[in-house]
Amino acid sequence: MRRSTAILLMAVVASLLAVLACTEEATPTPEAMATEPPVVEEKSRLETVMERGSVICASRNDVPGYGFLDDAGNNVGFDIDLCRALAAAVLGDPNAIEIRLITAAERGPTVQSGEVDMLVRTVTWTTSRDAQWGNYAQTMFYDGQGFMVRKDLGVDGVDSALDLENATVCVTQGTTTELNLQDFSNQYNLNITALTFEDTDAVVAAYEGQQCDSFTNDRSQLAAIGSAFADRDAHVILPETISEEPLGPVVPHGDEQWYDIVKTVMGMLIYSEAYGVTSGNVPTASTGDTVVDRLFGLSGSYGQETLGLKQTAAQDVIRAVGNYGEIYDRNLGSGGINLPRENGRNALWADARCTDCPKGGQIYAAPLR
Amino acid sequence: MAAIPRGLTYKGIPLWRHTQVIQGVLQVVSSLLVVTLVAWFFINISRAIRDREIPYGFSFLDREYQTPIGQHFLPYESSDTFLYAFVVAATNTVIVSIVGVILATALGIFVGVSRLSGNWIVSRAALVFIEFFRNVPLLIQLFFWFYIILALPQIQNGHVIWNWLYINNRGISLPWPHASALDSALLFIAIAAAGVIVGVFVHRMLTARETATGKSSYPLVLGIGVPVVLGAVAWLAIGASSGESPFYISVPEPQGAFGRLVGGFTVSAGLIALLTGLVIYTASFIAEIVRAGIQSVGRGQTEAARSVGLTYLETLRHVTFPQALRVIIPPLISQCLNLTKNSSLAAAIGYSDLTNVAKTMTQTAPAVSIFILIMAAYLAMSLTYSIIGNLYNRHIRFS
Repeated sequence: MRRSTAILLMAVVASLLAVLACTEEATPTPEAMATEPPVVEEKSRLETVMERGSVICASRNDVPGYGFLDDAGNNVGFDIDLCRALAAAVLGDPNAIEIRLITAAERGPTVQSGEVDMLVRTVTWTTSRDAQWGNYAQTMFYDGQGFMVRKDLGVDGVDSALDLENATVCVTQGTTTELNLQDFSNQYNLNITALTFEDTDAVVAAYEGQQCDSFTNDRSQLAAIGSAFADRDAHVILPETISEEPLGPVVPHGDEQWYDIVKTVMGMLIYSEAYGVTSGNVPTASTGDTVVDRLFGLSGSYGQETLGLKQTAAQDVIRAVGNYGEIYDRNLGSGGINLPRENGRNALWADARCTDCPKGGQIYAAPLR
Repeated sequence: MAAIPRGLTYKGIPLWRHTQVIQGVLQVVSSLLVVTLVAWFFINISRAIRDREIPYGFSFLDREYQTPIGQHFLPYESSDTFLYAFVVAATNTVIVSIVGVILATALGIFVGVSRLSGNWIVSRAALVFIEFFRNVPLLIQLFFWFYIILALPQIQNGHVIWNWLYINNRGISLPWPHASALDSALLFIAIAAAGVIVGVFVHRMLTARETATGKSSYPLVLGIGVPVVLGAVAWLAIGASSGESPFYISVPEPQGAFGRLVGGFTVSAGLIALLTGLVIYTASFIAEIVRAGIQSVGRGQTEAARSVGLTYLETLRHVTFPQALRVIIPPLISQCLNLTKNSSLAAAIGYSDLTNVAKTMTQTAPAVSIFILIMAAYLAMSLTYSIIGNLYNRHIRFS
């Protein structure tokens, strides 16, 4: 490339950036908006999904319990089940899903571009992500950031995260954990060095090879990953939880109906558990119980028509994936990575229909009516 | 004559068969096409950004970054701004790129020359090296080196040599000069740099004198002597005036319960793995370029050189290589650009290069703006390389 060509190229790029900047700053005046031709109504996401015949979810396959591959090579996990529930509600078929595997750092752009229908990849709800990425539908799991260390570490052993002074900590790129780590280090003057990797696999390899003294992530993921270690008893998760990490599905901005559908489907899972309905006893005829009948489309309505859902959508959902408790147990509880749920934050807020019998949890959704 | 319009008197080739006209029209049409395509592309992007309400803008650059950067050559604290953090990360990439280009070129020339060696074992070994490393994807190679380094002993029981060199799976820590005070260090560097410039000038002048007059003028001795003496005087003067030498040697020392090495200079494991991978991968391509360059020089040149009594190495240095350079330089520049751009794979193995840090930035800053900055930074680096390389290319072509 000759020098003049190089300069020309730089000039072209610079001017195009300027064009980009200008078009962005120009806000249409009311007059201009009035004279613009009426916008052709775009197809709603629900229509697009129906036409396509599958729901596209961005997720992962590297963390047991949340998104993983089983022995047969199928995507399984808590996040995957939420996607299956949505497909069952919209298309009547839980298997009509397409999983896009993405890295943590790709989550924002993926959902911003609207190329996926839902992002379920252990995404923490934060205000700037809510503003920039998409709409957070519902908190489906309350998590918090913790640290994992080797038990034999240091001179006296480490039994608190506050002992991590001058430690090197491995962390996955593009996560809130990365940001919280710095806050924590500053707050207690710990002078922690972060070693950032693009993939959790590399983070785990570096931790196992002791390139870093500790490994930080959401506590549940630490438990999940630690459960796969060969020497799992040699590691311990430190007691401190240094952050709030409410996890849940995210939908692209700009389609209120779709956003409401996802929220409603999450509510179906939660209320089925509250009402004691499992995949094994989904009612197909009136039970005489008004709230159960309403949820399963046997009488009344919780807004199915407006949302564009089938009257009996909840039947398909619960039959396919079970209620919230079943999904939890299968993936994160006794059937999965063994995270205790009883009396924790991820228990239901109250016993079934007995609002005076609190169960102490925070799993709650808007009433279905 | 003047009354008749010119077009009517035209008797030449019809316009649609006129070479110059056809070429002119084609140029206009094709440039219009290119401009339209590029403009459409950018308008489309900006429209998509606006319609989907994707945040965009550069006001975040003055905000505090508040996120850790693993390794950094420039001083960095989490209270620094996004802009400065971006510069810190870009410096990390520039250092990888410069060191990588120098090492890859050296290794590539060595392997390329070995490939043509008359020694069967040497040439076969070079062949295996080239074919292995240029046919395995770079990312896989990076992970390979990453795992090799990971297999070194961990920091608590790593190798320690003479109590100042530490080798473990977090990298290599070695003694390094540190500035005592910034202003005296800068003053010393300025004087030393001036000394080197004067030294080069003296060397040139004395060489010219020696060539012209035939008198022995010691260009090398004086050329080196001037900056050394100047530097020594400056060192002592600054030391005497401020009470401490401008630089002191800092030795790494384990600190705290985790044995982290503080002081000296640590070449981190990620950097070692990245550099090793990039250098070997790129060197395997450069070796082939060097081989092609050498083989492009006529056999007669070598035979003539050998017949006047030059040794094999002398032939290579004075006859073959200078001619081969003309063929080698342009593709060599491409390889240097490739190395720089490939360094963006660093995130996979935990080195805080530009892409790694910038991708982290997308969490708290608009992704579109960040990616525009990344593109601009790599473009600037690549164009700088291209310009330097092409200037050198012109230099060897016409000298």
